[in-house]
Parts: sequence; C-alpha cells; structure tokens
Amino acid sequence: MKILLVEDDATTIEYVVKGFTEQGHNIETASDGHQGLLLATSMKYDLILLDRMLPQLDGLKLLAALRATGSQTPVLILSALSHVDERVKGLRAGGDDYMTKPFAFSELLVRAEKLMQRGLSQPAETGLVVGNLMMELLTRKVTLNGNELMLQPKEFQLLKYLMEHPNQVISRTLLFEAVWDYHFDPRTNVIDVHIAKLRRKFEELGFGELIETVRGAGYRLRQGN
Amino acid sequence: MLDIVSVKGIKPYQSSAWRITIIFSALVTLIIGTLLLGMYRQLMNEQELQTNQHLAAETARYQQMALTLDKSSFAAQVKAADPKTALIVWRSSLDLIGALSLIPDDMPMLPKTRDFPILTAGPDKLHILTGGLVMTRYGPVLIATRTDQLATLIDRFVNAAITALMLTIILTLALGYLFSKAILRRLVQYNHLSQLIEKGEYSTRLPVSWRHDEFDMLAGKFNRVLDTLENNLLAVRGATDNIAHDLRTPLSHLRIGLEQLPDKTSQDLPEACAILIEKLDHCLATFDAMLSLTRIEEGQQTLELQDFSLKVLCEDLYEMAEAMAESNEQTLTLTTSDDVQMTGDKYLLFQALFNLVDNAIKYAGEGAKIEIVQQGNEIQIRDNGPGIPDEEKGRVFERLVRLDPSRHNQGTGLGLSLVKAILARHNAKVNLMDNTPGLIVSITF
Repeated sequence: MKILLVEDDATTIEYVVKGFTEQGHNIETASDGHQGLLLATSMKYDLILLDRMLPQLDGLKLLAALRATGSQTPVLILSALSHVDERVKGLRAGGDDYMTKPFAFSELLVRAEKLMQRGLSQPAETGLVVGNLMMELLTRKVTLNGNELMLQPKEFQLLKYLMEHPNQVISRTLLFEAVWDYHFDPRTNVIDVHIAKLRRKFEELGFGELIETVRGAGYRLRQGN
Repeated sequence: MLDIVSVKGIKPYQSSAWRITIIFSALVTLIIGTLLLGMYRQLMNEQELQTNQHLAAETARYQQMALTLDKSSFAAQVKAADPKTALIVWRSSLDLIGALSLIPDDMPMLPKTRDFPILTAGPDKLHILTGGLVMTRYGPVLIATRTDQLATLIDRFVNAAITALMLTIILTLALGYLFSKAILRRLVQYNHLSQLIEKGEYSTRLPVSWRHDEFDMLAGKFNRVLDTLENNLLAVRGATDNIAHDLRTPLSHLRIGLEQLPDKTSQDLPEACAILIEKLDHCLATFDAMLSLTRIEEGQQTLELQDFSLKVLCEDLYEMAEAMAESNEQTLTLTTSDDVQMTGDKYLLFQALFNLVDNAIKYAGEGAKIEIVQQGNEIQIRDNGPGIPDEEKGRVFERLVRLDPSRHNQGTGLGLSLVKAILARHNAKVNLMDNTPGLIVSITF
C-alpha cells in the first residue's frame, strides 16, 4: 500500500516511516503543506497521514483543497490538539479519522489499515476465524474449540474487533471506540472489565491465554493453534 | 487627608458633588429670591393701598368738615389734627395753619399723591411724606401721611432678605464643599486601596460604614468581587501546586525507570518500557484533562449540540458501567421514567455522568448498591457507600481536590471539576445530598 505522510516533525517522520516500512508499506513524506498538497494531488495514494499544524499551509486547508479536487483518498489526521471539538473540526473538513499525538504506532497501524481496506472492494464477510475461534456474523454465534460461547452484545463487539485484527496489539482507545459511540478517554478500567469477563469465558474452556494483555499498550488476540 | 486629595489630582471643586452643590445653591437662591421679590411687591402694594385709603378717608372728613363747620372751627380742627394719623396744612388767606410750615409746590390734587421730604427737629430729621391737595370752600388743604416708617420696614425687610440669601448661598456652598470633600475622601480611599490590590495585596478590602449608602453598597459589591478573585487566585495557586505534585511524582518515577533501563535484562526490558509508557500516558492524560477543563470552563470549546433522550443516555450509561460495578461486586441498577428529550452536547454530558457513576463505583466500596435514577429532567446517581461529609461537599468540585489526602487513588483529580464545568455549560444544577448512608448526586436539567 502506498502512503503519504505530511508532517514537519523529524522525530515523528522517522518513527512513522520506520513502522510502516517494517509492515511492508511504501511511504513517502512531505514536510510542508505546499509540498504535501502537490504530492497528494499529483500521485495516487491509498492513504494520507496529515499533520494538522504544518508550515506554509495548514493541514485542514490542505485537506479542504484536496477534497475540492474530488479526491476520495482516505485521510487520517494527526494532531497535537486533543480536544473533542478539534476532532470534530478535522472530521468535518473531510478527514476520515483523527489521532492525537503522542500516539502508539500500533494504534496508528490499525487505524491506517482499516482506512486502506475501506478502499478495497471486499465481499461482505459472513464469518471470522482466528485459530480455533469462529464467529458467525449473521447469527452472532461464537464457538471456541467447538464449544459455543454465550456473549453479551458488548463482549461480542469487543471480540469481533479483536478477531478482525488477530495478533495485533489493540489499544484500549480503539476498543472503546469500536464498542461505544462515545469519544472520550474514560480514564478508567471499563475496557479491562469487559475484557476480563470475556477472558473468564475463554478460561472456562481452557483458553484464557488467547486474550493477552500487553502492558502499556492494550490487548492482543493470539492466533491459537 | 487634604494632601491626598490634592495628590490624586482631583480637587473638591472639580468633583461632581461640587457641581451638584453649585447647581443646587443657584436653584435655592433663585427660589428664595423669587419668593422674596414676590413678598416685597405684595408689601409695596399693600402699603400704597393703605396710604391711599387713609388719605381718602381724611379727604372725605375734611371736605365734610369744611362744609359743616365755620372757618374758625375748621382752623381749630386742622390745628388739632393728630399728626400720627395725618398731617394737615390749610392755607388760609393769611398764613398756613397746621402741622407743616409749608406746602410744597406742584402738589397734585388727591387722590393723586406725591412723596416729599420734610425736615423736623426730632432725632430723625428727614421724613418722607406722601400726600396731596384737597380743595375745600376755605381753600386748598394739604393732607399728607408719614410713609417713611413703612419704607424703613421695607428697607429692613429687603436687607434681611439679602442677608438671608447671602447666608443661604454661603452655607450651601460651604456645606457642598465639605460634602464633596468627604465623598472625594472616600473615593480617594477606594483609589488608594485599589492601588494596593493592584500591587498584589489581594486581602485588602474596602471599608463598609454603618451608613449603608450607595458607596457602601459599591464597596460591598467590590469586596465580593475581590473575594471571588482571591478565591480563584488561591485555587489557581493550589492547582499549580497540585499539578506540580501530580506530575512530579510520575515524572520522577519515569526518570528513575529510564535510569534503570540499561541495567535490565533483555527479557525484562519490554515490561519495564511498558510500565514507563503507562506512567507517561498518565501524565499526558492529566495534561489533557487540565486543558479540556479550562476550555470547557472558559467556553472556548463549542458544544456539539444535538437532540437526544435522557432515558437513552442513562441506558448507555448503565450498559457501560454495569460490568465495572459487577467486577467490584457491586450492584448497579437503572430506573427510568418520564423520558425527556433535550438538546445538548450528548458526548460531553455522557462523559460527565459517566464520571459520576465511575466515582460511585470507585468510592462506594465492595458490595455497595449503586442506582442510576432518571425521572423527567432529573438524574440521580445514588450509592450507599461512605458518602461525603457536609463540610466537604462544597470542595469536591474544585480543581484537583481529592478528599483522600494521600492522593493515592489513581486519577487526575479533575474529574468532578470537569463534571461541574460540563453541567454548568448545559445550565444544569448539581446537588449533593445524603443517602444516609451514602451519597446522592442529583442533576437537574
């Protein structure tokens, strides 16, 4: 996948470029707004990562100009402005997602891949399979090693998100957003509590270790045997 | 005090009180002057009328006497006339008979009169008489009366009036001057105190006297503003100290952790790093909470208004918090009735309410019963935990105040301030009540 990063901070550039390159993506960078707009309009990208505060041309103005050309390229806004209204502003200007600096690369990767997959026309999935864990999306039936799991709606949503990103560290923020329609940092263990309940149901079948806690980062669903 | 008055540039005669005094004394002068003038005129008219009536009566009497008496009797009557009532002079064929030794020239015929001076031997040598001639069958008779006593009276009246007027002017001006000086003294005092406040002596308060006048009201208001300001300043100072404390501790842990990193075995390294990242995230969260609190409090953050149902909001709240209560072995229940549709920032309000429920779960203790009750436009979050003592109820919404003095519990200490700010932006009322035992937080929209 081809990604454009419009960012002026060298440390962030290095961090993001290294991460995406390691994941096998092709990433190009622009260090100011003008260059960014030029590249974004002249080349074809699968995703644009856009800093909000850029020299010469503000990120939101760049985005507005890009959208004015009819470009549908997904744009993920990176910003040091964390307020809810800033987020709303960014999304209104045509951004597809919004991330606050500082961020963990793992979370950026999940968000970026989600946006890039959106562009690909995939047949609607009817089920998810991760190791011996199976989920039927229509009937909402979940089986683990052949045994059916009785999940509550929130647990189902959490597990679905984890199954969509197997072996990836998923931050609490991502899980929170996936399950609830409220964007705020709850500063509490609400996700941990739900994961714990889910894990207890896994443990009853002897697969408690499938959902792994990654300290300081989030949770990971391991691809079982 | 006088030197302060002049030092501050404004002199008593420049003050508005002095201007009012001038206008007032001019008005008083005008009114009294007009009154006196009216009285003076009245007096003059009265005097003229009396003189004329008197002279007319005398005229009729002497004309009558001239008709009925013979010449010698008439002369006797003329001589016998009482000079206090009227002065009569009759020019007989030979000489003048009567009270005066002459008849001035050009005397008009009564009822027309003329004033004329005469000299007497008495102490008041010069007198003014008013009179005129009457023709009788024995010749012209001068009938005159003394008016100078009345004139003196009027003169005295005029003098008294002028004196009174002058006294009024002087008195009002003097009092006005003193009055404006007194007002200025208070203003200068206020000025002086406000300079002290400007210099940073925030505990300074304006004096409030027993008079309860407009100055005292103003001073009282000003003092209340100062109270608020001082409280805010203290709060900011306290907040700064608390931030320093709140961030210093995790930051110093971070520093220690980073110093120890090189000594870690490659096996322990990821875990050690993760712990440090968690600490750093906590610092960042505190910063973010601080910023968004300020933005919401100061109204910088625009509310994303939308219509929503309070019942649905409470249901979402219940759904999110239920598992948390469960893991604490607490029971969380939801009761809703009379749904209300309202307009507001749903996400912010949810955040505020969630914070309250989260607090109840955190502090009510194991096995507690927590209720979310929505009835009409009121939402109550009740618990049967230890509650909050009355004297602390006011403080819990202050920035960075934690009733747990060791600041042991994880949290930014900003949650309830944020709740208060969000609810204030939605004009909602928050009340803390006793659930005996426990706490009821009541929010009314």
